[in-house]
Amino acid sequence: MLKTEGLGYWYQDKSEPLFQDINLEFDVGQSYAILGHSGTGKTTFLSLIAGLDKPKEGDILLGDRSLKKIGLTNYRRRDVSIVFQAYNLFTYMSPLNNLLTAMAITGAEHAGDKHFALRTLNDLGINEDLATRNVQQLSGGQQQRVAIARTMACDAQLVVADEPTGNLDEDNTKEVIDQFQKIAHDRQKCVIIVTHEPDVAARCDHQYRLENKQFTKLA
Amino acid sequence: MNFFKRAWLNVWAKKGRSVLLILVSSAILMFVLAGLLIRSAAVKATDQAKADVGATVTLSANRQAAFKKMQSSSSSSTSKSSRPKMTLTPVKLSDATKISKLSNVKSTNVTSSTTVNAKSYDVVSTSTGMGSSNGGGPGGMKSSTSSGDTQIDGVTATSLATDFSSNQSKITKGRGITTADKNTNHVVIEKDLASQNNLTVGDTITVKETAGDKAKVKMKIVGIYKASSTSSSSTSPMSTDPSNTMYTSYTLANTFKGSTYAGTADSVTFNISNPAKVSSVKTAGKKLINSSKYSLSTDDSSYQTVKASMDNVEGFANKIVWLVAIAGTIILALIVILMIRERRFEIGVLLSLGEARWKIVAQFFTEMLMVIVIAVAIAGAGGKFVGDQLGSQLVSQSTTTTQTTSTSSGQPGGGSGGGQPGGNGGGAGGPGSTSTTTSAKAADTDLDISVSAVDLAELGGFGLAITFLSIMIASGGILRLEPKKVLIS
Repeated sequence: MLKTEGLGYWYQDKSEPLFQDINLEFDVGQSYAILGHSGTGKTTFLSLIAGLDKPKEGDILLGDRSLKKIGLTNYRRRDVSIVFQAYNLFTYMSPLNNLLTAMAITGAEHAGDKHFALRTLNDLGINEDLATRNVQQLSGGQQQRVAIARTMACDAQLVVADEPTGNLDEDNTKEVIDQFQKIAHDRQKCVIIVTHEPDVAARCDHQYRLENKQFTKLA
Repeated sequence: MNFFKRAWLNVWAKKGRSVLLILVSSAILMFVLAGLLIRSAAVKATDQAKADVGATVTLSANRQAAFKKMQSSSSSSTSKSSRPKMTLTPVKLSDATKISKLSNVKSTNVTSSTTVNAKSYDVVSTSTGMGSSNGGGPGGMKSSTSSGDTQIDGVTATSLATDFSSNQSKITKGRGITTADKNTNHVVIEKDLASQNNLTVGDTITVKETAGDKAKVKMKIVGIYKASSTSSSSTSPMSTDPSNTMYTSYTLANTFKGSTYAGTADSVTFNISNPAKVSSVKTAGKKLINSSKYSLSTDDSSYQTVKASMDNVEGFANKIVWLVAIAGTIILALIVILMIRERRFEIGVLLSLGEARWKIVAQFFTEMLMVIVIAVAIAGAGGKFVGDQLGSQLVSQSTTTTQTTSTSSGQPGGGSGGGQPGGNGGGAGGPGSTSTTTSAKAADTDLDISVSAVDLAELGGFGLAITFLSIMIASGGILRLEPKKVLIS
């Protein structure tokens, strides 16, 4: 589904790349974990496959189309959904309006369908009462579930998550990872999670470690 | 149009910030509206002044030319006894008729003054430190003519005479002289003279001519007027008491002066419908007269005073509008920039969802638009109050300045106005005396400040422009913002 071809990125000059010549493939119905120490470039790699930045070298293909041709804005709108460590919700809205807004922007199949949005939130343990409160009144775990519900409400085939459990306790972490697994397996989406927690990575179908500017597939 | 909903949700969720923005915008727009109102009121007041204060062109004998002629005769004459006298040629009514047919001439007032002696009544005597003042003043048509105790002001209509048009004199009983009184012996007398002699409308009085065969003439009283103490004819200690001034048709005044004065006048005043056209009427009129004998003088000082005053106000109002609009744009732009900087995270989330940058800018514009719509309504309600206060302050300041200028320039009373022949009696006042009236009229000019739909539409336009510019200035950051830098730190 998503393929990187000779992908490379550096900040100052090519002699000091974060990673170089990366060739990876990600398929639908699978979950992937990218492990690595801080500063190795795993979040930068995520920003490239999420369409938030352009690679300095190589290409990213969605199916057989280059992101350069699709355009990053179109790609972000239609093909990818991002979950952040800090949830990145609209703080002046309720969870329900967060979902409806995202669905409207991405032109999701159920855009404008309030009942669908409420059902999706309910599936993740956000009842109607919580769904209509201001999002800032929710706990961290609840907010992360709203962020995951947002990706589920949109039709993107690729879900990327940057340290999604970084701010969560053990119970909430387990629950969130369960949801990502459901998204991958039940909804047949491709889930890529960047994490520094080996326990979280272990629960994904595939694990990669970014080390010494290269990705290594873990057994 | 999801950005409309986002804008509404944001404005509603952040009520405190929205109220503050509304207050700031209202204050800015209130001053813009005050400026707009003062400007439009000044334009209206200037237009009104054109209609109200009017301007005149006066045809009279060319005193300067006559004086030069007298001087040249004097230098050629050696004998003291045969010293030449200045002779002023009376205005021919046929010339005046030609000028009255010019465009922009609204009405014509023929003036012919003389004096007669009372026969069937007693004149009002005034005792002053300078002695009894019932004699005729200088500046008569012919200095050899003896002066009577009663001043006769022959006019086309009293309503066109300066004293009546400026409300210095008022008809209190009966009626004034009109064009219908031409070739009649109808007269309008002063209230004090009437009460002293128990005269009323319908009574007849007899006077004796001072020129020619000195015949007795009976006149029928058709009206009684009240002269104010500041009447121009009382300004000179040599002139008759103002109560002894009577108004008749100019034809009767000419009869008193003698048969040679038939079809003539001391002066003819043309009232101009549009004061701005005074110069063009004067230029056109000069071509129709013999300028060596006659002169055309203009008096549009009232109009010029009001115009200058209103021009000052209008100019200041324009400055207010633009200064406040520019300052408002800068203030709002800075607020919006700060507001947008606080919302970088939200912009990043929107960009990560694939929202177009122009729609993000449109969301902020819509939010500000909602604020501005309410601010326009508040400013519309409060702008009139601010405009009233500011406008009256401006008018009083600008009128004071203009009055000072106009009075100082109008001091020499005997200047060009002296060219107007005063008939056998007291001479007509020069610019010195008219400046009092002018200043009074200018001071009376008030700004009618009212908020119309057009003003509100104009204010809305300004509000929209200020909002648009503010958002455009602040949006530079949004257009350059990279979502990765905001969202992944």
